Formats: sequence, structure tokens, C-alpha cells
Amino acid sequence: MARINQGGAPMASPEHDSGQLPHFVRSFGWGVVAWLPVIILLVAWEVVARSGTVTPFMLPTLTRVFERMGSELVSGELPIAVGLTLWRALAGFVIAAVLGIALGLAMARNRFFYWFFDPIISVGFPIPKIAFLPILVLWLGFFDLSKITMIAFNTIFPVVTATIVGVYSVEKEIIWSARNLGTSERGMLWEILLPAAMPQIFTGLQVALPIALIVGVLTEMAMGGYGVGGSMQTASRMADSLGVFAGIFEIAVVGYVMVKLMAMLRRHLLRWHQESQEPTTV
Amino acid sequence: MDSAVLDRAAAGGAQAANAQIVIDRLSHTYRPAHGRPVLAIDDVSLTVGRREFLALLGPSGCGKSTLLYQLGGFLPTETGTITVDGKKVQGPGPDRGIVFQHFALFPWKTVRANVMYGLQRMSLPKAEQERRAQEFIDLVGLSGFEDSYPSQLSGGMKQRCAIARTLAIDPEILLMDEPFGALDAQTRHLMQTELLAIWNRSPKTVIFVTHDVQEAVYLAQRVAVMSARPGRIKAIIDLDFDRRDPHLTKSKAFVDKVDEIWELVRGEAIKAQAGKA
Repeated sequence: MARINQGGAPMASPEHDSGQLPHFVRSFGWGVVAWLPVIILLVAWEVVARSGTVTPFMLPTLTRVFERMGSELVSGELPIAVGLTLWRALAGFVIAAVLGIALGLAMARNRFFYWFFDPIISVGFPIPKIAFLPILVLWLGFFDLSKITMIAFNTIFPVVTATIVGVYSVEKEIIWSARNLGTSERGMLWEILLPAAMPQIFTGLQVALPIALIVGVLTEMAMGGYGVGGSMQTASRMADSLGVFAGIFEIAVVGYVMVKLMAMLRRHLLRWHQESQEPTTV
Repeated sequence: MDSAVLDRAAAGGAQAANAQIVIDRLSHTYRPAHGRPVLAIDDVSLTVGRREFLALLGPSGCGKSTLLYQLGGFLPTETGTITVDGKKVQGPGPDRGIVFQHFALFPWKTVRANVMYGLQRMSLPKAEQERRAQEFIDLVGLSGFEDSYPSQLSGGMKQRCAIARTLAIDPEILLMDEPFGALDAQTRHLMQTELLAIWNRSPKTVIFVTHDVQEAVYLAQRVAVMSARPGRIKAIIDLDFDRRDPHLTKSKAFVDKVDEIWELVRGEAIKAQAGKA
């Protein structure tokens, strides 16, 4: 290391001279390649928007969308809207995660729970839960409570099913080993089944998280008020297409960051699990 | 033939004043949720002495693993009885440690945490737990890998870890279900030698399930040959080799014994194959 720096040149070490670029250039290069489709799409957008074939009302230029986001950021509108949407999505997600894992464990371990909830889950999973929104509004009002309930209601299904599958797929030899080594009936659930099922449970959570965000924005659009969804709806009513596109961008960035953070959390928590260490787009 | 064998098994049991495990007229039927019930074990009686190394040898699907799982208390005993030290087996217990073919390690725990797991469930002081865990990690040659996860280990190392985890709770009886069956030939040979060394250092009653005749003859003091399904004890062969002899496996006596037992097993293996077809 010191030897390389002696030369003072920010070049790769002589060993790497065989036409190889420095590591950071290569990884940056690959980053560009990986993101190229998105960049192409954005450039195409800008070109079409500037070409005059569509009105700025139909499709504003990217530069103007970014300008709008910048001014919303400065005015504080953007942080409030994104913050509220994130809070609702995450609150609903956490409730769904806790209840979903608990219900999944109960169903996987207890015949009565399984008998009772399995048909309900089977019927409920494909139902568009958003259809319950009008009734939820009547029951719970149109503030956070109904929105968060709706988010949790939508996201709990993949968590429950992933937990059941996870517990069911724990090898019987692992359970037998645990029993052999003195695990109690209660210990079996917390010490063995839950950690062993964690890779599948986490996959369920990774499916649930984007759903939480999607449903969050949907409920905000349907009910109005503060939040990214509500702002977009308001902007649309006022024929402010720039505001709508700004909202779409905000959601895209928030969603991407959340999904990536979740993948990082998985790699850290499940570092014992080989498949979890492999790079993934989710 | 069968009744003669049974008489001999019974006689062996009577002789062995230090009989530890007594299996008496054990039968077991698998009842799958869909399909016909399968008689896996048919009227097996067997006595195993304290600190004896017994190999259960038979073709795949002959019920030898089922017998082991019943001994471990993982499967219920329906017909017949199994007693250990005069007590009926009614569930798993730390007196009977088990090692599985596919290791069954806790993949979310490090090597040290795997070995510690059983110790934590015994009322031992923390320092003693750690000392014993390290002792057995060293014993199986995993020093330096204490903080590795099972997914980072080779098959042989995983099985070393599983053996350490089981030995750490100091069971009197070691049940081994084809423990080296998933390993490559060289690793398997090394592990066999090390198992014998461990057994010589602290003799335990070992019941070693295998379908490898050479392995059974190399390791065991007695080999119980099982028939194709339904599993019965077809013959019991006493062995008296000096296993410290490095050329043992090449000696005529050893090779002859392997051939003799292979003859017994071959017919059963063919039957087992035909049964599958």
C-alpha cells in the first residue's frame, strides 16, 4: 500500500498494469452499465419532452420535474409528504410483520389455528383488500388509523404464508437434534423453528415491504390529505402534471432505498445463510 | 435359519451381564398419509452391551435408520419394547446422543454456539460450558473454526462439528445414522480412524448404521446384518481385530471377513433393488 503511494501517482500498482483499470473505476463502470437501461429511459423522456411532439402538460421535461422537487424540498413540502407516507407504510409494515409472524408460527405449530385460519388466508390473499377501504373509513375515520390498518391488512398475507412455509420446511433432523440436546417444547419455537425459518420469513417481509408502500400511496390517493399520494391527487385535480410526476419520482426513490436497505439488513442478519449473501435485485 | 439367529441373539443377550440396550420383538409400521402402510421393521430382538461398538448393516430402505430413530426415542415404539439400562425408551434423552448423515447442525449458529447449545441446557456454570465446548472442538480438530458458520465448512468439518456437539453432552450411547455416508472417500476414511480414536479414549456404546460393509467391519466389534424390508436381523457377526494395526484393512483375515459379510448383504441388496423396481 505504502509502496504504491510513494510514486505519488494515483495509478494502479505495477502488478495490475496488464491493461486492468483500477478497482474503483471498474466498479463504477459496472455501476454505469447496470444502470444504463434506467439512464436510457430518462434520456428518452427528456428528448421526447423537448421534441415538441407532446405538450409540457402531458409530459414535462425531466429538468423541470427535478426543479420542482428541489423547490418542494426547500419549502419543506417534500420532506413532510415523504415522511408521512413513509411513517404510514412502515407502521403498517411493522404491525403486519409482528402479527404475521406470530400468526404464521401459531398456524404452523397448532392444528386449531391452522384449521381456523388456513381457509381465511386462502380466500383473503387474492381479494383486493383495497375494496375494504370505504368501510374502513366508516369504521376508523380517514386519518392515519384507517390508512395504517389498510396497509397492515394488505401486507400481512405474504408474511403469514412465508412464515408457515418456513417453519414447515425445517428439517426434521434439526428438530430431532434440538430435542436430543435438551430443547424444551417452548424453546423449540423460539430457539430452533424461528431462526431456522428466518430466511423464508425474511423473503416474505421483502415481498411485503413494497406492498406497504404501494398501498400507503393508494390509500393517500383515495382519501387525500398530506402524504405523497394525497399531494399527487391534489396536483392532478389542479392540472399540475409537474406535481404528479414529482410525486412519482419521490415514491420511486423511496421505494428503491427501502428495498435496498432491506436487502442489506438481510445480508447482515442472515450472514450464516449462503443464498442470502449472493447479490440480488430485490 | 431365522430362529437360530434369534436364539443366538437372545443367547448373546443372556451372556452379556452388562447389557445396556435390550430391543425385544420390535416391529414398526410406517403409515403414510397417502398410500399403504409399510412394515419397516419386523420382530427385531437385539442386545447391546455397555461400551460396545455395534454396526447395523443392511441395504438401503431396510429399516436400520428406523430402528436407530426408535432407539433415539424420535419415533414411537408400537410393537415390542426398547429398554436402556432397564428403563423403557419413551422419548429422546441426553443419555442417547445422535449424529445424522446430513449433520443437522443449526446453520444460524457458529461452530462454538452449536457445540455450546446442548451444554447450555445442562445446569453447568458458564465457564465450564465454554471449557467443555472448546475441549470437544479441539478433540474433533476444529480449532480455529470456532466462529465459522456451518455453511462455511466442508462436509467433513460439518460432521466433525456435529460429532463434537453430540459428544459435548456426554451421552452414554452414541447413535450414528450413516454419519460418513455424505463424505468423500478420503474424508470418510479419516473420520473412521478418528472415531475409533475417540471411542478408544472414552468408550461409549456406539450403534453405527451403515450400508458400507468395509466400514462396518473396520469399526465395529459386532455387526448386525439386516435383511431387506421388512427389516429383520439376519445374522450377527462378532469381530475381533486389532484396529491399531495400520495394515489391518489389507490383511487376509479382514478381507475374508468383509467378503463373508458382503455375501450375506448382497442377496438382501438385490432383494431391496427388486422391491423398488
